[in-house]
Amino acid sequence: MLWDILSIIQDNWLLLLIGQYPNGPLGGFAATLILSVLSIALAFPLSVLLALARMSRSPFLLWPSTALVYIARGVPLLMLILWVYFMVPVLIGANIPGFVTMLVTLVIYEAAFLSEVVRAGIMALGRGQMDAARALGHSYLGAMWYIILPQALYNMMPSILSQFVSTIKETTLGYVINVPELTFAANQINNQLLTKPFQVFFILALVYYLVCWTLSHAATVLERRIARKRAGTTSGTLPVELQPQTLTVEP
Amino acid sequence: MIRFSNVNKNYGSFQALVDINADVARSEVVVVCGPSGSGKSTLIRTINRLEEIQSGSILFDGQDVHAKMRSKELNHLRSRIGFVFQSFNLFPHLSALENVALSPVTVNGVKREVAREKALQLLDRVGLAAKAGSYPGQLSGGQQQRVAIARALAMEPPAMLFDEPTSALDPEMVGEVLAVMKALAADGMTMMCVTHEMGFAREVADRVWFMDGGRILEEADPESFFSRPQHPRAQRFLSDLRH
Repeated sequence: MLWDILSIIQDNWLLLLIGQYPNGPLGGFAATLILSVLSIALAFPLSVLLALARMSRSPFLLWPSTALVYIARGVPLLMLILWVYFMVPVLIGANIPGFVTMLVTLVIYEAAFLSEVVRAGIMALGRGQMDAARALGHSYLGAMWYIILPQALYNMMPSILSQFVSTIKETTLGYVINVPELTFAANQINNQLLTKPFQVFFILALVYYLVCWTLSHAATVLERRIARKRAGTTSGTLPVELQPQTLTVEP
Repeated sequence: MIRFSNVNKNYGSFQALVDINADVARSEVVVVCGPSGSGKSTLIRTINRLEEIQSGSILFDGQDVHAKMRSKELNHLRSRIGFVFQSFNLFPHLSALENVALSPVTVNGVKREVAREKALQLLDRVGLAAKAGSYPGQLSGGQQQRVAIARALAMEPPAMLFDEPTSALDPEMVGEVLAVMKALAADGMTMMCVTHEMGFAREVADRVWFMDGGRILEEADPESFFSRPQHPRAQRFLSDLRH
C-alpha cells in the first residue's frame, strides 16, 4: 500500500507538479497554485471596491454590489462555473479557455466573499476613526485610503488568508470544465492505473491537506500576533463591536 | 467667529437642538456645560457638520457651514475647524508624529519634511516631543489627548472645538490636558469646549453656556454663572455638582 503510493509518486511526480507541460498546457500543482494566487490577487482589490460600494449611499453602487454578493453567497460555486462556462461563449461569440473561465469565476466568487470580510473589518473600526479623519478635512476616499483601510485590512489579514485556503480547495472544481489542475492530473493518473484509486486520491488529499494546513496555521499565528499587537495599541479607541451603521455623514 | 441662528436639529421625533441662537467671538473661550443628553455634544458637532441640522444656520468665520456646497468645499472648511474628541480617536497605526503630520500633507499638500518639522514643534508645545515615535497604544490617555490636540493644531485652525476632552481620562491625567488648553486660550485661540471641569470653566472661560433639553438656558460669565445662576435648572445642576 505504502509502496504503491511511493511508486505512483515516483512515476508521476512531474505530471502532478506541472501537468503535461511543456508538451501540453501547464497543469498539476503549478496550475492549482497559479490559479489560486491569481484569483485572490485579482479578487482582493475588487473586494475592497465591492465593500465600499456596499457601504455607499448611492443606489447605483449599492444595489448591483449587494445583488452580486447575494448571488455569490446563495449559489453553489459549481453552478457559477457552469454558467460562465456555457453562457460566456454564447454572449461574446468566442470560446474561452477553461483556465480563464475558472479564473474569472473564482475572482467574482472570492471577491464577493472577501468583500464581506473587508466590510466587517471597516465596520469594526467604529465611527470615531472616520469622524476624526473627516474633522481634519479628509475626503471620504482619502480617509478610507490613509486611515480606515490600512487598519481594517491589517486586522483582516487572517481572514483573508483563510479565504485563500478556501480558494485553493475551490480550484478543484476546475476539474469539471477540464482545467488541467492538480485534481485533473490525479484523475489522469487514476485513469491510467485503473486499479489503485485509493492510493492516487490519497496522494491528492495529502497534498491539499499539507498546503491548506500550513496556510491555516500561518493564519492562526498571524491572528495571535495581531491580537497581541492590538491589545497593546488600541487603548485609545475602544474596541467597538460590529455595528451596522454607516460610517460617515456625507453632505 | 461662530454664530448659531435659529438652529434646530432632531433625530426622528426627538428634538436634540431647539432654536439655538448664540455667538462665539474671536479669541473668546466658551464653555458649554449641562447634564448628559442635553445636546452639548450634538451642538459642537454641528459646527463642523459631523452632525447635520434641520433648520437655521451656523456661520464659521463668515461661512455658512450647512449651506449646500460641494464636498471639496466642506472638506476645506472642516480642515480649518480644530476638533478634539472625547475618545481621542488617534490613528493607532501611525506614530504620534505621523498622526500630527499626516493631514497637513494629504489634505493641504504641505511638503512632507515641512509637515514633520512642524509636527515636532507642535508635539514639543504639548510637551511630548520625546514621544514623537511612539504609537498611540504606547501612550497614556492624557498623552494621547495631547497628541490629538497637536494633530488638530497642525491644520492651523482659527478656532478649536473640544468635545468633553477630559471625560475619558483617569483623574490624574486631566490636569496635563487642561494645562495645554489653558496655554492655548492664553495664546488667544478661539475655543468652544464642552466639559464638566468647572474649575477650568471658572478659570479660563470668558462665558459659560448652560444647556438642557437641547436649549441654551443660560449664558453668563463664569463668575456670575457659578455664584448666581439664574435659571432654576442651572441652580439644580450646580448644586448637584457640588455634592
